[in-house]
Amino acid sequence: MLKWFEQVEPERPAVISSRVRLVRNWNEYAFPSRLAQKESMEMIRRLELGLSDLGSLDGKTYEYAYLDELSELERKALRERRVFNSTIASKKTPTGIIISEEEDTSIVLNGTDHIRIQLLAVGFHLEELWRRADQLDDFINARFAYAYDEKYGYLTSFPTNVGTGMRASVVLHLPSLSMGKKFTGLVSEMARFGAQVRGLYGEGSENYGALYEVSNQKTLGLSEKEILDLVNRVALQLITQESQVRQMALEKHGLECADEAYKSYGVLKYARRLSAKDAMVFLSQLMSGIADGILELKEPCSMYRLMLGLQPANLQKLSDRPLGKEELDAARASYIRSELPELR
Amino acid sequence: MLCERCKIREANIQYTEVINGVKKDHHFCAQCAKELDFGPYSAIFDSEFPLGKLLSGLLGIGEEQQEEKDKAHQVVCPTCRTSYDEFIKNSRFGCPDCYSVFDLLISDNIKQLQGSECHKGKQPKFHREHSEAAEGNTEDISDASKVSGSVMPKMHADGPAEQIRILEAKLQEALKREEYETAAQCRDRIRELKEGIERC
Repeated sequence: MLKWFEQVEPERPAVISSRVRLVRNWNEYAFPSRLAQKESMEMIRRLELGLSDLGSLDGKTYEYAYLDELSELERKALRERRVFNSTIASKKTPTGIIISEEEDTSIVLNGTDHIRIQLLAVGFHLEELWRRADQLDDFINARFAYAYDEKYGYLTSFPTNVGTGMRASVVLHLPSLSMGKKFTGLVSEMARFGAQVRGLYGEGSENYGALYEVSNQKTLGLSEKEILDLVNRVALQLITQESQVRQMALEKHGLECADEAYKSYGVLKYARRLSAKDAMVFLSQLMSGIADGILELKEPCSMYRLMLGLQPANLQKLSDRPLGKEELDAARASYIRSELPELR
Repeated sequence: MLCERCKIREANIQYTEVINGVKKDHHFCAQCAKELDFGPYSAIFDSEFPLGKLLSGLLGIGEEQQEEKDKAHQVVCPTCRTSYDEFIKNSRFGCPDCYSVFDLLISDNIKQLQGSECHKGKQPKFHREHSEAAEGNTEDISDASKVSGSVMPKMHADGPAEQIRILEAKLQEALKREEYETAAQCRDRIRELKEGIERC
């Protein structure tokens, strides 16, 4: 079974992935920070039992696990693949996880909230993800009554999630736009509209790979539909601007662009050592080159998949043993060499 | 500008030093700044300096009227024992009931944070006081949770009395600040709640 990020969607190359996340709490228990070990275990067990037929809803195969059953490495790898965030990955108290084979649907139990539903997809599919999240939410709600308040909506541990409990986000590839001086201004402009834009792998010029995540800042006072519209609008705005800047670059500096794309391919295909930073930068440049039609791979290959695969924990998982920095760089180069298809 | 210490990362912290009247500007990146000793200011660059604290700073806005607020700070959620102080410190609620207990104290702050204080959007399709436990386990589970004392009482069960306490504190505060409209609202709400209790 292919993982969700292994699929390729050529339609809108600047949009890498979409994500919808809902947080909910069961009205019978206090929030996780106030639950004793015993109560947490009991709640997770009841939730897992009640949701044991989750597959009947969407035909997916789900795996049920406790986070502390997973190795440290496995947890890190799942965090790198964005199944959950670092807060959950480093959590010491009991936490359950229900995850589909494709890793596109996951439910974290007793994380920062009782229930955290997350759906991921390649490309621009917020509406579709929301529709599925909505169904899943009803499925869970039919079994477990939610903590809900007429005024504040769905009640959550943190006041920053209260209301819809929803975070909708898309990951965009913005290599040209983010190089411009005006980008920081543009990002703060987006904040005024209630959208947050942040580097996926770091801030400012250290965000190697030029992947940016756009998400809604607020969760209260906006309907789910309005949140989706907001994130959609901002994302579309950013990719339109990106493509304009890129078009200009191609017209004025076509040779440089082509050179950059081919050189990146060459390094990725033949290097024997690659730091994460270099690999990210070259993959980003190759991604642009493919999107612009400068070069073409023999088989479709998702650059985002490689970007996830080259992260330390995922590489270590492949080699089945802990790796030093040098070994890691060598393993990274070898991983990319073997995964990257030939040029057409 | 690059950091003058590591000369690798972008400098984003400007540090001005005045020694014996001689002013000197330094430029560091966040990482180097963290490693340097700035005396009492070092804490700012500590990675432990959590963004969450900024949030709690925001939630605790207006703390200068400490004495007036003391009363409010003693409010404790009867269900999970989270105090208002703890909530301000961690920016985190302890249980669903905290929302109704702290409602009057937090609504302005939530509005500031979220730009709204009223939910719009989806509502739960199924809303029961107690949900069914998974088949076959109903009995032992409900027993277990009774023992552990985690089962929420009916939402807002301890609400009115606690709310009245908070409202009275708010009322006094409003009167001191000569905000008579707020005071009147509090008074009316207290009356409503008291009538509600009597009727019960």
